[in-house]
Amino acid sequence: MPRAVSHIAGWLGLAVLLIALPHALSFSQQEVLVFLTINVLLVASYRLLTLTGEWSLGHVVIMGVGAYASALYSKQLGIYVPVSIILGALTAVLVAMVLSYPLFRMKGFYFLIGSFAAGEIIRLLWKRFRDPFGGPKGIKKINPMPDLDIGVYSFDFFEPVSYYYFALAVVTLSLWVMWRIERSPVGLTFHAVHWQDKLAQSAGVDVRAYRTRAFMIASGFAGLSGALLAHYIGTINPNSFDVELMVFVLTWAIVGGTATFYGPILGCVVLSILNEVVLRELGFEQMRPFIYGLLLICSVLFLPNGLESVVQHIMRRRTNVQAAKASRAGDSARYNVEERTEP
Amino acid sequence: MYTKIFKDGLSRRRFLETAASAAALAGINTRVLAADKVIKIGFLAPLTGPVAAWGKPGLDGCQIWAEQVNAAGGIKLADGDYMVEFVGYDNEYDPAKARTGATKLIREEDVKFVMMLGGDTWPGAQPVADRTGMLFSTLLPSDLAPDTETLLAPAEVHPIYNVTGVEWLAENKPDLKTAVICAQDDALGLPSVATYLAAFEAAGIEMLEEPLLFDPATTDFAPVVTKLIAKDPQIVCLDTCYSDYVHPIAEQLFQQGYKGQIISCTADFYDQMIDKTSVEFMEGFIFQFPDFDDPALNDEAINFKNPNGFFAEYTKRHPGEWGAVSWEYASIMDLWKDGAEKAGTAEPAAVLAAMKDGGRGLHAFGTADWWGEDLFGIDNALVGNWPVVVIENGKARIKAFKSIPEWYAKHGDLLKKHMAAYGQMWNQRG
Repeated sequence: MPRAVSHIAGWLGLAVLLIALPHALSFSQQEVLVFLTINVLLVASYRLLTLTGEWSLGHVVIMGVGAYASALYSKQLGIYVPVSIILGALTAVLVAMVLSYPLFRMKGFYFLIGSFAAGEIIRLLWKRFRDPFGGPKGIKKINPMPDLDIGVYSFDFFEPVSYYYFALAVVTLSLWVMWRIERSPVGLTFHAVHWQDKLAQSAGVDVRAYRTRAFMIASGFAGLSGALLAHYIGTINPNSFDVELMVFVLTWAIVGGTATFYGPILGCVVLSILNEVVLRELGFEQMRPFIYGLLLICSVLFLPNGLESVVQHIMRRRTNVQAAKASRAGDSARYNVEERTEP
Repeated sequence: MYTKIFKDGLSRRRFLETAASAAALAGINTRVLAADKVIKIGFLAPLTGPVAAWGKPGLDGCQIWAEQVNAAGGIKLADGDYMVEFVGYDNEYDPAKARTGATKLIREEDVKFVMMLGGDTWPGAQPVADRTGMLFSTLLPSDLAPDTETLLAPAEVHPIYNVTGVEWLAENKPDLKTAVICAQDDALGLPSVATYLAAFEAAGIEMLEEPLLFDPATTDFAPVVTKLIAKDPQIVCLDTCYSDYVHPIAEQLFQQGYKGQIISCTADFYDQMIDKTSVEFMEGFIFQFPDFDDPALNDEAINFKNPNGFFAEYTKRHPGEWGAVSWEYASIMDLWKDGAEKAGTAEPAAVLAAMKDGGRGLHAFGTADWWGEDLFGIDNALVGNWPVVVIENGKARIKAFKSIPEWYAKHGDLLKKHMAAYGQMWNQRG
């Protein structure tokens, strides 16, 4: 089968699987699937930020900016929810742009600490100003996505299956955009800024501008994930975007690996299923933090390059086997040709 | 490397077999026999994480309650006797997980009643409650609002009962006239601050400073306590701080030489606080949650069944883990059981109607009224007497039962004033 055809078949298979998936799950697993889909967008956006070599501790707070903004636009200003979700993402971009001025005067560890401080300032503002942010209790009764009837399917967005399809569409589109960005000259420059920043600078690349761009784009997608979350659960508060969730995002990225586009997504999917489905179903409800921690230590010890290294290992083996087969087939064909052409 | 581990020592099949066996063994104690007719009750609270102290001890208490009720023949409904089984879900005090948990308990486990801690997690579960009409309970009446018709606060009227501690303090130590408050700046701390401010004002006790609100992420309480006692207050009020805060604050008060009165909503695991400070330092510490071996609980007005026996069994199984909520969820189950037996069915709407029938209910500490329209917009909180507990010679003792409605009849306007100032009235929320 030609490579292009097998690629298309693979993507179609994945699409069918993702569309059919919720119907094979229980109600609570469908709920987990919705949150997992949203978290995939969050962690993928985090990787986009790390492309320039900067690791932030404020990414989930930026997600919260999108959530708060979208919730307020729809609740206070009466803006149609899908529009408020987009505006929430744009607000996150705007806030990231403002934050980038002080933050990108720093690099490396200092940026990490600076991003944490900036995030905490935003969280404190949410707590301090009860109007409009609701203070420590946050915002409740956030407008849900309005129901939608498209003839062949009626979307009741309270139901996890409907919201999953909506989130899946948004996340798929977002991932495609992020993928295209990474493959574009801009994305290649992000890599250059990470690995050869002095060389890139000497070639005329404005390193700080590219770091800012990556930060803003990543923040936009993080804000989008926050807005999706807010309109599903209907309530947000400052603790929903605290450092604990940030640790989870870091863990997904580290356990999955950040060398490939799919690494953090793989980490998020595997660890979320493990924590929210497998351990709960096995009856380890109260032992989950202990077992989860143990598995993390094991994965760091035995898979230092992340779960993506397992996939790469499998792919390499598959390629080698195919190459060997091709080589054997080539030898055999050559032998036959030689045999036939011999006088 | 990972394949080598499986190859050399542990096969995938072996791992799954072992895990499944462990899970089965873990669940064996809590299951009733398959032949019995069973009613499932959902327990949706934090069982891990920083707020677990107000969830897990409650589930442990409920398991004891279920065993006692099942041994006595179970729940007697119109169509026969039913055994009770609790199904727990750890919501980690997260609204998203509360939604998932509510879905699982109601739509998969077919529970007939769901108990929650409430607070940040209730808004996550509320849409599921609204859609399914499921009966829920919360420990935090500040979750109540006119549209929460299937949500009850039958165990505690947090934080309103805190007024009883201040009232008792003013009556018994009238020379103490100045106070300060500290609290975590969150959904639990703020209504409690408003309540203590009203109670102190009603008792004629002057606040030396504005309440000191600290971030829930605080871990170093030395500067908090230094600032708190800077004006040498006679009373330090620890509000409704989580036990993760009460312990280090008490320790800091001890280390910084504070010798005045301490009052707090809770003093969970107070024996550990005594270990960290001293018996003398903790002498006279006032809070609101008794040990259930207290002789005062054997009074015939008390509705909690066999409190001393319950406490003995609890502390035998979970030594050192008795806390504020160890008995509360079990006491809610007493009310629910009475309601279900009265209704003759476990269907949520019928049980709710039976529980609220006549406007009165058998609260753990005596007969109480369904109340709350004034503060919460709905009469879904069961309010009556509440104990005032004081540590004496290293042991918590009930000093009095004080009436919350009587206090409210005299000082209700003060409470509403302070609640409104902190944005805690039901019409100011969210």
